[in-house]
Amino acid sequence: MKRWRRCLPAVVLVGLAAAAPLVLDPLGYPMRVLTLVFLFAAMGQAWNLLGGLANQVSLGHAAFFGIGAYTSTILLRDHGVTPWIGMLVGGAIAVVAAVALSIPTFRLRGHYFALATLAFGEVLRVVANSWTEVTGGPVGISVPFLGDDLAMFQFTSSVPYYYIMLAALVGVSVVFWRIKAGRLGYRLRALKENPEAAEVIGVDTYRAKLAAMLVSAFITALLGTLYAQLNYFFDPDTIFGLATVSVRMALVAIVGGLGSVWGPIAGAAFLIPVEEFANAFLTNQAAGVSQLFYSLLLIAVILLEPRGLVALGERARRLARREGRP
Amino acid sequence: MDLLQAVVNGVLIGGVYAVTSIGLTLVFGVMEIVNFAHAAFLMLGMYIAYHAWALFGIDPLLGSLIALVVVFALGAVLQRTLITPILKAPQVSQIFLTVGLLLALENAALIAFGSEFRSVQTPYQTSALRIGGIFVSVPYLAAFLMSVASGAALSLFLRRTAVGQAMRATAQNPTAARLVGIDVTRMYWIAFGLGTGLTAFGGAVILPYMTVFPTVGGQFVVLMFTVVVLGGLGSISGAMVGGVVVGIIQSVSALLFPIHLQNLVLFLVFIAVLAVKPTGLLGAGR
Amino acid sequence: MDRYGNDGRANARSRGLTRRDLVSRSLAAAAGLTLGAGRTRAARAAAPTINVGVLLPLSGANAQFGINARNGIELVADRINAAGGIGALGGATINLVVADATSNPATAATVAQRLITRNNVVAVLGAFASSLTLAVSEVTERRRIPLLTMSFSDQITGRGFKYVFQVVSKASVIGKAQFEYTLGIAKAAGETLDRVAIMYEDTAYGTSQATGLRAAAKEAGVEVVMDEAYPLGITDVTPLIGKLRASGARAVFPVSYLNDSILIIRTMRQQRVDIPAIGGAAGYVIPDFHRALGEYAEGVLSVNTSNYDLAPEETQPFRERYGYFMVHEAIEHAATMHLLARALETAKSDRPDAVREALAAGRVCDGIVKALPGGCVAFDQTGLNTETYPIMVQWRGAELVTVYPETVARAKPIWRS
Repeated sequence: MKRWRRCLPAVVLVGLAAAAPLVLDPLGYPMRVLTLVFLFAAMGQAWNLLGGLANQVSLGHAAFFGIGAYTSTILLRDHGVTPWIGMLVGGAIAVVAAVALSIPTFRLRGHYFALATLAFGEVLRVVANSWTEVTGGPVGISVPFLGDDLAMFQFTSSVPYYYIMLAALVGVSVVFWRIKAGRLGYRLRALKENPEAAEVIGVDTYRAKLAAMLVSAFITALLGTLYAQLNYFFDPDTIFGLATVSVRMALVAIVGGLGSVWGPIAGAAFLIPVEEFANAFLTNQAAGVSQLFYSLLLIAVILLEPRGLVALGERARRLARREGRP
Repeated sequence: MDLLQAVVNGVLIGGVYAVTSIGLTLVFGVMEIVNFAHAAFLMLGMYIAYHAWALFGIDPLLGSLIALVVVFALGAVLQRTLITPILKAPQVSQIFLTVGLLLALENAALIAFGSEFRSVQTPYQTSALRIGGIFVSVPYLAAFLMSVASGAALSLFLRRTAVGQAMRATAQNPTAARLVGIDVTRMYWIAFGLGTGLTAFGGAVILPYMTVFPTVGGQFVVLMFTVVVLGGLGSISGAMVGGVVVGIIQSVSALLFPIHLQNLVLFLVFIAVLAVKPTGLLGAGR
Repeated sequence: MDRYGNDGRANARSRGLTRRDLVSRSLAAAAGLTLGAGRTRAARAAAPTINVGVLLPLSGANAQFGINARNGIELVADRINAAGGIGALGGATINLVVADATSNPATAATVAQRLITRNNVVAVLGAFASSLTLAVSEVTERRRIPLLTMSFSDQITGRGFKYVFQVVSKASVIGKAQFEYTLGIAKAAGETLDRVAIMYEDTAYGTSQATGLRAAAKEAGVEVVMDEAYPLGITDVTPLIGKLRASGARAVFPVSYLNDSILIIRTMRQQRVDIPAIGGAAGYVIPDFHRALGEYAEGVLSVNTSNYDLAPEETQPFRERYGYFMVHEAIEHAATMHLLARALETAKSDRPDAVREALAAGRVCDGIVKALPGGCVAFDQTGLNTETYPIMVQWRGAELVTVYPETVARAKPIWRS
């Protein structure tokens, strides 16, 4: 009973989200914004697995994202493999890459880990720019347009993409929630609070962190494929970009609230519309005004509550409750 | 001969990388904050020197001192208003506050200075000394000498003055520093001001050969991080050596590999250094 | 979000039901949301305006080019409105909806979506950078909205799209011209080029133009002794110029934006590499190039896709209004606005489909289009302008002068060695 009550808000939200296309223009802008909110929330959630649960701040998740996007798109372009399969191949390659990355970097902590992953993302960006025969180089790569075909993951309407992103978000959130509530989550929490003590009580910190990393990398790669299918076109500087992907993924999770299942959802639901709003209403001003507004807002949120929106909400609720009592 | 030319060149540009990165490492050393907005202060320094040149005809090498003073003040103010509240916050919040600051500074510059690419003309812009078969670019040499001088001055400041010694004490152990009566808060804003000011200085001295525009800092971000990691986060002497090493790696790798893989070589060295000795290959670490 | 939704629906209705597809109509009807249609249509008749989407990078590294382009579009739009708007549509005025494409293609695509549904634009002009235009075109094509651009990546018109129109030559053609024109100019000066060097930034623009250069050199039997890409945002070009010096090339073709182009020219002068540098547009053809290099800019050649001296009477107002000469991206974006206005006149309709037909069938040879080499715009099946070709320009003092091919040259080229 109690568990059901705790799930209730999630069920209601998913229900509302699922019903939204009934009232929105299926090709319209609000649909697109919502689709992006789901995608970025899912990306933030994948990042949250590593950054929130294992406390390893990665600034190189674009590496996995790009691997997913490029793998499925190249397989489709050159071999006609459906992205449904291509995304799994991409996920597998991302896992291999994650293992390769973790060998030299996993004993690093804090800033050092963040900087090492940042460099890793940049390495792949340079590789994608240089390895022209396979990636198409800096010009970018287009997903071949095949018309409406569920089997080939192509739709002319944006409604299927909307539901796919929604499903992805729900899926990743469930994975996150299960891991957090499970044995791995327990180990990670122990490790986060006191790594030395965790070692002493027999938690294999390396394995726990690696597990979180691999799951996170795999999911990020799958989302990379979804991104490619949604946008039909991408180039190395965007898909492997520090600002466009790595930092945004982390930002969504951090602004929302680290380590909480609601964090990335709140973060994306806040950041993406704000970004769109700034772009829509401020670009008739001088160039740069909309971006300035966005960045100042970001600073304000972090200064107001460094632990993110979810914490801010709880604080507000507590405050309201206290005032309600005479 | 090619190799010698590459090394000479690497040392010259490396000197500048060093001075622009010292601030990053100083700030980390004193208050354990990785300032992602650091490169934006380089851009500010370049703009200040540019306007000093355009409005008053001051050579950027002298304008660098104006840049140092102005950005020192700005840095000190930003430290007190934005950095102080998050000193105790989780590391991720610190990272993203500085990312937000980077975006804000870049776009404020776009609004204030416009999007044009600004560049100065100096009498020595195309001069080079020819020593044996080696070319020594005069703008590079001037920037290098200015950087070395400022690095030496900082080093003297930290060793010989009371404030400098107090700052070093704060870097080693803030709690102990507070116990012996050092005003740690004051140390923090001085360190942040100095760090950003020095970077602005570095930006100004490269203006004779670089062009300034609002996002110019982006070209230097990764270089700066490589320098400080190579030298050991927090180590000033490490950053100086790290700068020169990065310059040489960049320059010499261009002889061996296609130039567009230049950064790849740098990143791989970066990851390798972190893997082998995270506290830095060159500095003693902290 | 609610506001977005409501505005979007109200606007979609203002153009009647033609634009909305069946699914949308039935869904909206099912949800019982068919109110208000009559009111907005009446409101529109009173104040006829036509929304035109202008989607350009107004922040980030390409901001300057985006702003130049916006200025060009503004100039033409203001002139049209001052002259009484679109006559065939009852003097409807052009309302520019300017939006920042940023430097992220995904954002640009989202913004395009917004322009189409919220602002109900009849067409989209822009996005300057090829990667942005490619991403935007994926949206406009599916929504059947014309996209007029001057981005020159070969991919743009190479995908069989029906709603994309490109007013200048393709990158590979520009690269080829950069090479062949140089050969022609050198030959006229009594010089034979047997060894050349190519250096380019590793971006969409650099690599596609280099492909054209390479192919043309091969075709002409000229040896390419250096062919180097370098990373965008390079901070030290000394190794690059060292390689150039060692290669023994007789001319160099750098394809780069401004910062690199200034570094390249300065370092060449420092190292006494005296061979001619023939730029690949972008950084070589903006006023800042001369402002930065002063006398060292004198005589530098560059390929270009249009130039203000081809139609001084059309481009002079730009200089008077904004204080600098009308750079090529401003001319070409202004041309897209002009073409769109023409298409609206001939289509006598502001339905995107009708406008597309008018664009595809028309041939326009007046106004700002005269500043494009060839002086006319007519599109082939892929949406590429078949009547234009690249030109060679040369710095003379603070001005850019068209010097090749002879048919359009305003002065004779000077070949320096």
